[in-house]
Amino acid sequence: MEFEAVIGLEIHVELNCATKMFCDCPNRPGDEPNVNTCPTCLWFPGAMPRLSREALEKAALLCLGLGAELQPRSAFDQKVYYYPDLPKGFQLSQAHLPLSRGGGIDITDESGKSKTLRIHHIHMEEDVAKLVHEMEGRLPISLVDFNRAGAPLVEIVTEPDFRTSYEAMEFLKALRTQVRYVGSSECSMENGSMRADANISIRPKGSTQMNTKVEVKNMNSIRHVGDAIAYEIIRQTADVQAGEAVVLHTRLWDPDKKVTLPMRAKFEGPCVPDPSVPVIELSPDWIKEMRSRLPEMPVARAERFVKQHGLNAEEARFLSSDPEVAVYFEAMIGLGVAPRTAMHWLTTQLLPAMKERRQELSGSPVTPTRFAALLNMLVKGEINANAAREVLILLFNSDEAPESIVKSHGFRQVSDTSALDSLIDKVLGEQTAAVADVRNGQGKAMGFLVGQVMQASGGKANPKIIRELLARKLGASK
Amino acid sequence: MDSIFYHSNLEPGDTGDGSLNGLRIAIQPNISAAGWPTDAGSNALANFTALEDATIVQRLRKAGAAICGSTRMSEFGFGLTNSKAGEALRCQAADAELVLDIVGESRLAASRAAVCGFKPSYGLVSRFGLIGLIPSMECCGLLSGNLGNLREIIKTIAGRDELDFSLPDEQAPDFSAQAINPKNTVIGFISEAQTALSSEQVQMYHASIGELEKAGFHLREMSMSDFPLFTLVHRIAGSVEASSCAGRYDSVRYGRRAQGARNWNDMYLLSRGAAFGPLLKSYLFQGAFFQFERYVAYEDACRIRARLIKDMQRLTRESDFLVLPIFDIAGSGDMASLPDIYTQFATTAFANVTGQPALYLPPPEGTAHPGLQLAGSRLSDARLLALGEHLMNMRRGGK
Repeated sequence: MEFEAVIGLEIHVELNCATKMFCDCPNRPGDEPNVNTCPTCLWFPGAMPRLSREALEKAALLCLGLGAELQPRSAFDQKVYYYPDLPKGFQLSQAHLPLSRGGGIDITDESGKSKTLRIHHIHMEEDVAKLVHEMEGRLPISLVDFNRAGAPLVEIVTEPDFRTSYEAMEFLKALRTQVRYVGSSECSMENGSMRADANISIRPKGSTQMNTKVEVKNMNSIRHVGDAIAYEIIRQTADVQAGEAVVLHTRLWDPDKKVTLPMRAKFEGPCVPDPSVPVIELSPDWIKEMRSRLPEMPVARAERFVKQHGLNAEEARFLSSDPEVAVYFEAMIGLGVAPRTAMHWLTTQLLPAMKERRQELSGSPVTPTRFAALLNMLVKGEINANAAREVLILLFNSDEAPESIVKSHGFRQVSDTSALDSLIDKVLGEQTAAVADVRNGQGKAMGFLVGQVMQASGGKANPKIIRELLARKLGASK
Repeated sequence: MDSIFYHSNLEPGDTGDGSLNGLRIAIQPNISAAGWPTDAGSNALANFTALEDATIVQRLRKAGAAICGSTRMSEFGFGLTNSKAGEALRCQAADAELVLDIVGESRLAASRAAVCGFKPSYGLVSRFGLIGLIPSMECCGLLSGNLGNLREIIKTIAGRDELDFSLPDEQAPDFSAQAINPKNTVIGFISEAQTALSSEQVQMYHASIGELEKAGFHLREMSMSDFPLFTLVHRIAGSVEASSCAGRYDSVRYGRRAQGARNWNDMYLLSRGAAFGPLLKSYLFQGAFFQFERYVAYEDACRIRARLIKDMQRLTRESDFLVLPIFDIAGSGDMASLPDIYTQFATTAFANVTGQPALYLPPPEGTAHPGLQLAGSRLSDARLLALGEHLMNMRRGGK
C-alpha cells in the first residue's frame, strides 16, 4: 500500500520588539543572564501583566502580511503547565480567542505546481524562561535565565495541508521572507527567533482520514525541519507496515544522529481565561491603519520588478525575497544605475562579498550611493570591470569616495587612443602569428591580442577601445 | 495587639496634608506595601517581602493616610478562618481597614465588628499589588465605623491605574455627597435569596429591612429564580481560576520548601503539599478537577455566570437598590470545609460573581438585627454609599 503524509506546522516567531510582551524590560534574551527582569516577568505575586502596544502592532502586521483576518476580539488565557522554565505555572497565550484566523502562503511544490498552504490561526503568547543545563563538578545542575521570560511571541498554526517535507521547507522560507518584509521579526531558526514544530501522521494515499499524529520538535534550521519530517514519515510508514499503531506523543529531532527520539511529555491542561489581561478589541479603523502600514509584499514586488525593471521572474523573485536587498536594488536604480547592471553586480559581487564578511546590507559601509557611484564609473568606461571589483573590496575598508579610490590607486582605465596606439603597435610587432590568424578570420586570436595589450597596459586599458583600435589596424571585424 | 497585627508599622512617617490626613488604615498581608512581609496568610508565600507598594497603598499614602500595619488573615483571604479582619477597628487601633473581598469577607467581617463594610464595583479599584485568589471575582473591600471615611478612601483609591490594564476604560463615579430621597427610591428584595435561611433568620431579615420601610423607602419584592446558583458558579469558576493562578506557588524563591525531595518535580509536589492549608488545598484540588477532568462544567459555570449577571442587571434596572440578607452563622468559629464556606457566604457571593457593589451597615444600636446588606448596579458605588449615609443619618435622628 502506498502512504502519504499529513503534516501541519506550529511556528513560533519571536517579535523584534524593544520590550517584553507584558512589561518594560528590554527584549534582549541574549544579554548577561537575568539582567532583563522585573517583578512582572519574574511572575512575582501582585504583579500585573501590561500588554505592549508594540507587540500587538507587530503581531497584527505579521498576521496581515500572511493574509490572515484580524479578529475584532481576542483574549489571553492561562495555559497551565508545570516545568521549571515557567515558575508561574501558566503561560499567557491566546488559546480560545486568537488574534487572527485564516491566511496562507502560496508555494511551488516539487512538481512545479502552485499550491496554497493555509494557516488556521495566529495567536500571541509570552515566551518562557530558558533552562541552561551545566555540570558543577560531577553534579549536573540546571540554571534558569529569565531574560527570555515574557518575550513577545506569535504562534502560527497551519492547516494540515502539507504532504511532503519539501512543502514544509518552502513554506518556512516564504514565511520567513514575508515576516521579514513586515519587519516583525528576523525569523532566524539558527538564532532562535523562529522555531517550528511539525505534526505528522500518515494514511493510505487517497484517503481523507486523519490519523494519530506525532509531534516533532527541536529543529534548528529549515533543513532540519525537512530532514526530521522525512525521517518521521519513513519511521511511521515502517511502523504501520509492521502492524504497529502510531501513538500520540512528542519526539525530539537529533540533528547529529539524524533521527527523532521520543521525549517525556510536559503536563499540560486546558486553558482558563485570564481576567488580568484585558480583552483586545480591534476597531475597523485600527485594522485599516495597520493595513496601511503594510509594505509592498514580496510577491507583488517581484511582479513589479518584472514589469518596471525588465527583470525575468527568477531574478525578480530573488531580489524581492529579502526586503533589504529589494530596497537596496531600487535605491541603486534611483541613483542612475541600469536595472540589469544593478541586479548583476548586486547578486554576483556585492552580496557574496557581504556574506564573506558576515555583514548585512543595513549598516554596511558599501552604501547604495557609493556602490552606484562605482558602477556609474564602470558604465561610463572610466574603469573596467576588473578595476571595479577591486575598488569594491576597498570600499569595505575605507570611507573614501569610490572616485578618489580610483584616482589614488590609479584604476582609471586608459581610453586615450594615442596612448594606446604605441602599445598596440608594439604588441602587433611581437605577435605576428596571432596577427596572421586574425587576418585569416580566426576570431579567437583577436581575444588573445586584446589580452596582450591589456597586460602591456598594466590592466588599465579599456578593452572595448583596444578591440576597436585593433580591428581598425588589422582591417578585421571586432 | 500582636494577636491582631501580622505586621505593625511603628513609624508610619509624615502623613502630609491630603484628604486622608492622619487616618490610620490597616491593610492585610496580601496587599503589597514595599518592604513588608506579605505572605497572604499562607506558607506558600512564607518569607515573601513586597517589592513595591500596591497602587491602593501608594494612593492612600499620598493622600496622607497612615498605613498602620497589616492584620492577620485567613489563607489567601478566602473565608474568615483565623482572620482578624475588623478587630483593629474594634480595638480602635485603626480608623479603617482594607480587606480583600473574595466571596463576601469584607461584609461579613464588618458584621462581626459591627462596623460598615463596603465591596466596591469590580474594575473600579486597581488590583496591582494585590495577591489574590480569584482574579475575576475579588476586590479590595473597606471597613470603617464611619461611612464618611469609607467614601473618602474609595474616592482616593478608585479609578484608572497605569499599572493595572485590566481596569475597564470607564469614568469613576462622582463620590461627592449626594442626597437620597426615599419617596422616589425603590429598594428591591429578592425572594429566592431567603431560601437558604431558617425561619428565624427570615424573621430577623424582615425585621431589619423594616428600617428601610420606616425611613420611607418603597420596598419591592422581586424574583430571581437562579439566585441559589450564585454560590455554585462561584465555587466552580472560582476554584478553577484559583487553581490555575496558584500554580505559581512552587516554594522556590519564597514560600516554605519541603525537605527530602529527590528532584525538582518532587520538590514541587512536596512543597505544594506542605504549603497549603486543608481548606485551600481542597479548593485548589477541586479547581484542578474541574479544569482537567470536567472542563465542560467550568464552561457551563462561565455561561451561567453571564446569565446571572444579566438577571441581576434586570433587577437593578427595575429598582434603585437591593437589600439582601446577611448572617454570620459561624460567629467567630471555624468554618473548615468548602461546603461550610459556601453556606456561610451564600448571601454575599452574588456581588463577587456579578461585580456589583455591596455595602454592609451594622444594625441600629439596641437591636438584635443582623444588619443590612445593600447592593446596587455596577458603578453605582457613590449612590450606594449615599444611601448608607442617609440611613445612618436617620438613625442619628436626622431627617
